[in-house]
Amino acid sequence: MKNKLFEKYFVFSPYFWLVLFFFIPLAIIFKISISVSEWGMPPYQDIFLFDNGFKINTTFENYVYIFSDYYYIGSFVNSLILALISTFFCLLIGFPLAFYIATSNIRLRNILLVLVVIPFWSSFLLRVYAWKIILQNNGILNVILLNLGITSEPLQLLYNQYAVIIGIVYTYLPLMILPLYGYLNKFDLNLIEASKDLGLNRFKTFFKVILPLSVPGIVAGSLLVFIPVVGEFIIPEMLGGSDRLYYGKILWEEFFVNRNWPGASALAFSGIIILVLPIVIFQILYSRWSEKNEI
Amino acid sequence: MDNNFLLIENISKSFGDNKVLENINLNISKSEFFGLLGSSGSGKTTLLRILGGFEKPDTGRVILDGMDITNLEPFERPLNYMFQSYALFPHLNVFNNLAFGIKENFTQKEIEINVRNIAELLSIEHLLNRRIKQLSGGEQQRVALGRCLIKKPKLLLLDEPLAALDKKLRSKTQLELTTLQKKLKITFVFVTHDQEEAMSLSDRMAIMKNGLILECSSPEEIYENPKSLYTANFIGIANIIEIYKKDENFYSDDLGINFKLNKELKNTKTNILLRPEKIKIQSINNLKTSSFNSFSGEILEKSYLGSFTRYEIKIKNMIISVLDQNFNSNSNYNFPKGEKVICTWESESIKVLED
Repeated sequence: MKNKLFEKYFVFSPYFWLVLFFFIPLAIIFKISISVSEWGMPPYQDIFLFDNGFKINTTFENYVYIFSDYYYIGSFVNSLILALISTFFCLLIGFPLAFYIATSNIRLRNILLVLVVIPFWSSFLLRVYAWKIILQNNGILNVILLNLGITSEPLQLLYNQYAVIIGIVYTYLPLMILPLYGYLNKFDLNLIEASKDLGLNRFKTFFKVILPLSVPGIVAGSLLVFIPVVGEFIIPEMLGGSDRLYYGKILWEEFFVNRNWPGASALAFSGIIILVLPIVIFQILYSRWSEKNEI
Repeated sequence: MDNNFLLIENISKSFGDNKVLENINLNISKSEFFGLLGSSGSGKTTLLRILGGFEKPDTGRVILDGMDITNLEPFERPLNYMFQSYALFPHLNVFNNLAFGIKENFTQKEIEINVRNIAELLSIEHLLNRRIKQLSGGEQQRVALGRCLIKKPKLLLLDEPLAALDKKLRSKTQLELTTLQKKLKITFVFVTHDQEEAMSLSDRMAIMKNGLILECSSPEEIYENPKSLYTANFIGIANIIEIYKKDENFYSDDLGINFKLNKELKNTKTNILLRPEKIKIQSINNLKTSSFNSFSGEILEKSYLGSFTRYEIKIKNMIISVLDQNFNSNSNYNFPKGEKVICTWESESIKVLED
């Protein structure tokens, strides 16, 4: 009897976790997003009023407001583009690395895996700050370029979207490498030899055999990078300039600078829906596809 | 026949300090079915991988049909390799696995015709739309074979071609493989650790041990006239008896009997081989023990194998294996355990092992 109860609890614990830390907070955000804003603490009115009888006090004006202003939509689009570009570069760098790690001998493999994980041991803020030092006008990179005579005056490397992409790719690379490694680790190397034996060179073997069979790993790694980068706030704040506004930054300003909690909540909630819905649909389609193809 | 179709010259290979192949030389003829037989660690698979181009030899050359292929990449070699695990592409169906190697150079129509032909040859037409995971082991083996044969290679390398199949399927596939090879006249070189497989498939075979080729000959020759003690023991069941010269004849201390040999010996002490099926076993009442080429002993163990009965016979300090064909349909024909019997053989059946 006791065991049964334990089993039941055990099975439902992930759902419990999900409800407690995902759905309830999401519901609270949704509730705030449909509240009427006012000056005060908290800076919005209750949605249920009992002053003169019961009254529901909600509004969708916050949603109308953010969707009618390109300032908000534009920043979200910027973030999506940033996430796409960063994911692409993470994949471009991460795939060969993950493949190399997965196919090297066990001793080297363990050393390389530790090297991939080592950056996590130091503070995230410090690591991003280090890029600030590298990229600034009298930073290491500019000093090297100047001394090599490649440029005659320091390049403006910091405070633009390129610096942001560099920072994000650097920070999120392990999140791409680890799931890719986990998948490529199981890759049957005979398949590569078989492909070469049947007349395909390295390049063609990559596109006909390695890549199609790595799709699950690529999907896992890309989602792990793409989703958090859309909401990334700190890296654009530290390395970015005023040339581009990103979603995370707008959200922050709406909450803490403008103290427009209902507007910010509407922005956050819309962001989650816009991001999560396509991913859920994609996952359903993808799992059907991979079931059909037995990958 | 072109005796120099595939030339393997002075091939050596080391992995770190570990010498895997030492100065291997082999000549393989066109359309030959050639077996490389050895236990694990003998270097046979490394040699096959060198032929396939997956490993580069430290020294030596590989020449195929007059062309030096030693430094060619696998995709540049006019040969194909069938992997032990078959290495079929799990993301493609049977049709696309078969067509994988010809997609580049053929039109869609030619591809279809070629795939159909090869599928017909291997009786797998009904499987073309299947996924690899839906195939049995035997079907996978055919697809792997078809995927290579469709390229019409000059040489087909097979790594343990039958190891992944169950016993019954294996003997059926053995026969099919030899028939197919004779029909297509493609040179086959295969690797196996299974001596029965090597014997039944090979036209000629090489016995490998510790990176060396000990012997290379036809299965019959290797079985009947092995040169070394290792080969004699490795292939089939062997009774190995140590003899030395005593007066005019040769004497075995273990058996306590004299041997008459047909030929002269270099050494005064040597090992001889007596295959178990060469020994004739008779009831002690029928015959008198002669002092040459016969002994009397007691049956220690017997195992009935259907067409044969295997006896273990104890004579003095030694146990000799004898295979007796169950010629008589009477089931009482067999000798019971503990029975005293006389064993005899022809002088020609005794083979002197030189090494």
